[in-house]
Order: sequence, then C-alpha cells, then structure tokens
Amino acid sequence: MKRLAAVAALLLVALAFSASASAATVTYGGYSWPAGQAYSTSFSPNWWRNVFSKMATFDTTITFIDNVSYSWHFTLRSHATYLQIHWLSSQTKKAHCRANQGSSAWAACSATN
Amino acid sequence: MLNIGRTRRWIVALGVIVVGGICAGAVIAAQVRGPGTPEGLEAAIDSEPLVLLADQPARNGLAKRGVFVQPTSAGFLCLWDAPSASSPARQGGCNPSSDPFAGGELFVNFVYDGGPAVSDVRDARLSGLVSEAVARAQVVMSDGTRRSLVLRGASVGAKSYRGFGYRLARTDLQMGVGPVAVVALDESGAEIDRQTTGFNG
Repeated sequence: MKRLAAVAALLLVALAFSASASAATVTYGGYSWPAGQAYSTSFSPNWWRNVFSKMATFDTTITFIDNVSYSWHFTLRSHATYLQIHWLSSQTKKAHCRANQGSSAWAACSATN
Repeated sequence: MLNIGRTRRWIVALGVIVVGGICAGAVIAAQVRGPGTPEGLEAAIDSEPLVLLADQPARNGLAKRGVFVQPTSAGFLCLWDAPSASSPARQGGCNPSSDPFAGGELFVNFVYDGGPAVSDVRDARLSGLVSEAVARAQVVMSDGTRRSLVLRGASVGAKSYRGFGYRLARTDLQMGVGPVAVVALDESGAEIDRQTTGFNG
C-alpha cells in the first residue's frame, strides 16, 4: 500500500509539473547582444510562438527553423522593441533569434510551447 | 483489510502534493519569462482588435494577406502581417505608442518564408507605418531600382494611421533581387528616414 501510494504520488507530481510547465514561455536567449549573436531553443514539435523583447530599438531577426531542411519559417526582421511570430504546426522546429546589430540594451528571446 | 483512516490521510497528502506541484510549476513557468516583457502586452495582443491598413495582394500562387495596425491598452502600437484580423498566425512587432517610429519616420517589418539563403526564399513581404511627415515612401531594391509604395490609411477611434504592404514578385526573388531598404520622402522629395532590411541578395 505504502509503495503504491509513493509511486502514485510521484506520478501525480510529475503530471502536475508537466501540466503547469507544458504551456510555459521559456527564455532561451538574453545575455549579451553583440552583432551577429544568435540563440536557439532545442528542437520540439511544441513550439508555436517566438518573441524578441527589447528595451531599445535595434535590428533583430526571429524565426523558426525546421529539423528536415533547416529552412527558415515565418521569419521577421525588424527594429521594433517587441517582435512576435507564430508557427501553428506540429512540425518539429526550433525557435531562433538573432541580433543583426550590437546593443547593450536589455533584450531577451522567449518561446512558448 | 482496508484501513479507511490511513487511506484518507494518503488521499489528503496526495492532494497537497498535487496542489504544491501545480503551484511550483506555475512559479517556474513565470520565472522563465523575460523579465522585461512589457506588462500586459501579450494579453492585449491576444485579445484586442486588429484594424486593416493595407492588403498584401495574392501573388506567386500565395494567398492574400493583410497589414494590420493594433493600438493596445498596454501602451504599445503593433503592426502585423496576417491572413486576417482574427488569425493567430501573424508576424509583427510593437513599439511604444508614445514613440511608434522610435525617433524616426518609419516603422517597418520585413517578413519572409524560406531561406536563410536568398535563393531559397519563397515569399517576402514588407509592411510599414509612416509618420505624418512622410509624403511618399519607396522600396530600394538590390538591383538599384526603386518601387513606389502605395500609402493607405486607417482610423482607430480618433487616431489615424498610414502605412503600406508590399509583396515581392517571384521574378524578383528568382533573380535574387530584394528590398535593401525602405525610404521615407517629404513633400520636396528629400529623404527623411531610411530603414534597412538586411537583404543582401
């Protein structure tokens, strides 16, 4: 009985964590932004939103990269302070962001799954 | 024989663990969000209306899209390229409503599918907003030519916006010709702002 309950507890905790984390927005880049600096998530079919949020305007790109042809999808290049793109598909992909010019302003890339 | 008291304690303990796990997960999920993500912006983007500013005409066998403006209650003005005003499949950016042109006269988004090599780009579109100081806007192409942009208007409440959409022709893409910059001209034809796209075909 005790063993069964312990296993059930572990399973429920794992389920609870995965349920609350499954709709998570994860910051995957935001440390320094010299020109050309890029960051990516791992590949997953679950990513659907990619965001680049900045405290200043500078030239940046966000995109999704598929794991078959490594082609770029729904790419957006803009100086805007907040960039957002979506790829609503179960295709395995990674979110990717890049600074096309350097900036010392705070900026971060985040992806939602 | 089943000990009802012990079973009940286990059920309570499991309930506490589950609730704790959910709370911990939510806290972790919140902590990994960008610390500087504007407060309320994503919720405003997801729930507040988009207004059509210009069409991205059907071209290259690809469906028509639109350029939409979205003033938000979060204090940001957003510019979207989307299949429709209600579609979540949109690409765009936002600037503070107090300074949508970031000190300039243009707010330009460049979106494309395919690449990153120019020869692999299947579709490319420009969308933009212009300030009141802008009389005309042009796209400077990588072959040195200039294409005039048709400025369209839209009103949201008392606010008026002007902007454009421009979809590249397939023939341009096949020849590696693309937009190098968007330029804003005043009444006299003088260039008053230039936003580069990074296209280097």
